[in-house]
Amino acid sequence: MHAFHYHNVRASAGRTSSTWRLKKILASLIAIGALSTVTVTGTFALLTSQETNARSAAASGTLTFSNTIGTGTACLSYNGPANPGNVNTACGALITSSTQNYPGIAITPVKVTIANNGSLDGVALSVYMPSCTVAATPGAPSPGGGNPCAAGGAQFSIQETNSAGVATACRYPSGPVTCVFSANTLQLFAANANTVTSALNLGSGPAHGQSRYFLIGLDLPPTAGNALQGEEAVFALTWHLST
Amino acid sequence: MSLRELKGVLLLLMAIGAAAYFGGGTTFGSFNAETSNVGSAIASGTLTMSDQVNAGTACLSAGGTPQNNVNPACAAVLALTNVAPGVYGGVAQVTVQNTGSIDASKLYFWAPQVNATLNGALTNGNAVTALTVTPLEGTVTSGDALVVSFGTQTQTFTANAAASGGATSISVTSLAANFSYPIGTSVSDTSSDTTANNTDCYDAKTTTPGTALATKGTDLNFNPVTGNPFCGAALIFVQETTGGNHYCWLGKGSSPENASGMCSAPISVNLSSALTTGGPITSLPVTALNGNVASGDSIVVVSGSNTQTFAASANAFFGATAITVTSATPNFAYPTTSTVTDSTTLSVALNPDTTDTITNFDTAHNTIGKIQLFPLTGNGTINNTATVELSHFNTGTFSRIFQIGVYLPAPAGINQNGLQGLQSTFGITWHIDQ
Repeated sequence: MHAFHYHNVRASAGRTSSTWRLKKILASLIAIGALSTVTVTGTFALLTSQETNARSAAASGTLTFSNTIGTGTACLSYNGPANPGNVNTACGALITSSTQNYPGIAITPVKVTIANNGSLDGVALSVYMPSCTVAATPGAPSPGGGNPCAAGGAQFSIQETNSAGVATACRYPSGPVTCVFSANTLQLFAANANTVTSALNLGSGPAHGQSRYFLIGLDLPPTAGNALQGEEAVFALTWHLST
Repeated sequence: MSLRELKGVLLLLMAIGAAAYFGGGTTFGSFNAETSNVGSAIASGTLTMSDQVNAGTACLSAGGTPQNNVNPACAAVLALTNVAPGVYGGVAQVTVQNTGSIDASKLYFWAPQVNATLNGALTNGNAVTALTVTPLEGTVTSGDALVVSFGTQTQTFTANAAASGGATSISVTSLAANFSYPIGTSVSDTSSDTTANNTDCYDAKTTTPGTALATKGTDLNFNPVTGNPFCGAALIFVQETTGGNHYCWLGKGSSPENASGMCSAPISVNLSSALTTGGPITSLPVTALNGNVASGDSIVVVSGSNTQTFAASANAFFGATAITVTSATPNFAYPTTSTVTDSTTLSVALNPDTTDTITNFDTAHNTIGKIQLFPLTGNGTINNTATVELSHFNTGTFSRIFQIGVYLPAPAGINQNGLQGLQSTFGITWHIDQ
């Protein structure tokens, strides 16, 4: 209470005196000084200098390839649906049921050209057979009931050649440079190389702008019985290229 | 004091003044002396800088069109093409120099905001509904604030439509220009660098193939640019190499700082002299390293189908011409065309890294999170109390050297087809303060 009175008396008396005005001026200066101290970095200009290295760029390359059967139209890996990208599951069949197969008489090998049309080198090329299923040959009057995808069924080979068609390596089954048919190879390939992780490794390449050439061989063994009459093996071959 | 008293005082002062005026000649003594210090002058110093990419032409801050000691259009640091995951990307050296007469107490770098420069002048007083700009670096979102700056003039426009990276026009809410801004005026989107969608770094599909006649980004349908995925995957590092000391300022190795000051910077070099199979070696002679090797790393030498892995037994930094290795006998006479890489840096340090991306640089180290470049005192050590970070020209440390690199990691088991045929475009800003 005493303090309240003292304060009031002092204020009412001082506001009219020159001392009070001087104090107000000094208080204002203190406030300005304090404010400038607190806000110094934003209040005063400094010399600055600045530059920007603009428009640096990093561009990725592409890894795409085509798959051409014989002299047909190239099927492009990137012409499939956007998701999953760079996967084309609609390339043409290697061989159709119109090509009849007889025991001991191999069909003409089918040439497949894998061309790297991307800008990056292919580091690993592989091939696998997602499935092999039996079906009655269209138009066959009386299918024999056998299974060419099973043991004792069709024989299968993958022969690599150079661009002139000269054999350079037998990729399946393993063996000498020129492939030789052996028993159960379609069944074994479908069983053992049916996913991208179990795929047959075809080695490095092709490099960008380069191609690799393969001959796909099929054969019914000479010992094939009547059970394989009128039966067909339906399968796909999937080619996979990675960096 | 009464009015009367005041008038008396004033009259007295007038009388004194009149006496001084008319009687001055006889009032003062006849002896006097006088000197004048004439021609005093005060001249300001300069605070300017330059940056030089590799051996290119130095870009001057004072040479920028905006005439405010800000040059927004210095040369690109990197121009990498045909990048593949897991394969050495590229590195460039940037030399930052104080070209002025005043010491810089602060040196920073940061990721610029989405930016461009005017490619069409504005006229004072005329309504502006679109800014014609150089290809926009980054994406503008409707509602963003666009600051136009030239000299001491500045004006803020508001974008009223989105503009993609590379666009050359930005639609803005109509506003009269407060100055005749010329071509070259800087334009910055101060609302940017907050998410992966609005960073200075932006992605676009490549329109030219990485090699002749090959496929390019625009041929593909599985590489969308939404969210700038390449910016978000590509790793960036900035390592200082001033005076032979090293410090990793950005990238893997910067947080926490590597004890040796080295970023995880991949290498891809050749042997500088052939190896022989005659006996064990303890050093691999290589062309100048374009990255770092840490002691213990696996160093892979490849020539055709021949390959051998050596173990580094000491650190080796940018520019080194030998890698010290644990004694081993070469298994092949590797020629000088053999490639030498550090598989540990790639597979262990960088391929799993999802943190040190260009996108994260933009969002974490923009004008708010700028990186202050304290002077180096040794490998991996700095003086963070130094009062000068870039000395004035031709004295002390007036140049500082940085290695800036980009690498596209190859994380195990991840399909990265979506990153094919994309180009990330980005910038880096250097700044000094008095």
